[in-house]
Amino acid sequence: MGDTLDRWADPPLLVLASLAGEPKHGYAITQDVAKTMGVRLSAGTLYAVIARLEARGFIEPLESEDRRRPYRITAAGARELARQSERMSQVASLATERLRANLGWASA
Amino acid sequence: MSNPDMSNPGATRLARMVLALYPPSWRARYGDEVHALLQESGGRRDVASLAWRALPAWIWPPAHLHDRPARMRASLSTGLLAWSLLTGLGLVFAQLTQFQGFHPAGHPIINVSYLVFDAALALSIAAAGLGGLPLWLLMLRRACREHRRRDVAYLLLPIGAPAAFVAGLSVTVRLVGGADGVSPWWFLIITLVGFAAASAAAAGPGLAMRRLQPRGPALRLAATAGGVAAAASVVAAAAIIVAVTGLCLWARGFAGYHHATIPGVYLALVVAAAAVTAVSAARGTRAALPEPEHG
Repeated sequence: MGDTLDRWADPPLLVLASLAGEPKHGYAITQDVAKTMGVRLSAGTLYAVIARLEARGFIEPLESEDRRRPYRITAAGARELARQSERMSQVASLATERLRANLGWASA
Repeated sequence: MSNPDMSNPGATRLARMVLALYPPSWRARYGDEVHALLQESGGRRDVASLAWRALPAWIWPPAHLHDRPARMRASLSTGLLAWSLLTGLGLVFAQLTQFQGFHPAGHPIINVSYLVFDAALALSIAAAGLGGLPLWLLMLRRACREHRRRDVAYLLLPIGAPAAFVAGLSVTVRLVGGADGVSPWWFLIITLVGFAAASAAAAGPGLAMRRLQPRGPALRLAATAGGVAAAASVVAAAAIIVAVTGLCLWARGFAGYHHATIPGVYLALVVAAAAVTAVSAARGTRAALPEPEHG
């Protein structure tokens, strides 16, 4: 991650975005987030986030046949993810617009 | 897919040790999953992050893992034990300094810390006593009504244990005390017996709570009062730390303060007891507060 801001990416949103695709267990979430979003979630961060999202009713556990319990996003979690995505889109549009106007970043 | 970092027995043991840092309810809910994850992908970074996240799991436990009354009862039981240890350490401090009329001239910081300590300790004892009284009476009434003799005995320990200690103390002082009080060895023995009595007094209501499983407003009041008592005793602990450090710096010849080991061990105990009291009380108070709405 070096000198980028990736480490400040919001882990709860990354997990919600990952689960928006399909239900996944912990290991599958870390793999998906690393592959699609380029962020490596450590075990401590991942389970702190899972516990928090579950407590808020944004995700729910599914039955598991082994120790790897899968989770799926709930309707409340999908609403929250949509709300946060909208907010991030606004920030992205604003950033792109200002980069083009003030700093001449045509490809931004 | 198994990760070589975590597949050997030593690493598995390390993962188990790290998971042992978490609250039992957290371990019961997520322990197996985390262990499976560590075996699949875990490395030292994952173990370190789990260790780092253990403290917040105690301070802000996930709301869905416990019912609130159970959390309040557990926090009260632990908090009461740690609080009694902290109060006992405070009384030892008072016995070794203020009760001997020691006021080092020219060091107002020590005198101010004495005053802060007195006020904070008094507030702490008053909050714990007044806030816990309704719950104690409720449990005692129920235990008497249902003829639960063991629970009645547990609930009477906060009165019986200190009373027995004070009676034993007065007899001991008469037998072995001289014009200058008791010798340092007798003081140490009396102090240890005092801590045993305080532990018994604090453990009694905790054991009764575990068996009687009280809930309702009296439990909430006790948990909230426990938070106030804990906050005040943490202030008292801070005053002790300032005063003992001041005595070490400015009154080195007084009551053993020229030996760094004794105050060091004493302060380590104070800090440990204050930390456990604060964490337990924070958990109990959080459980007693109204649940926030989640959108």
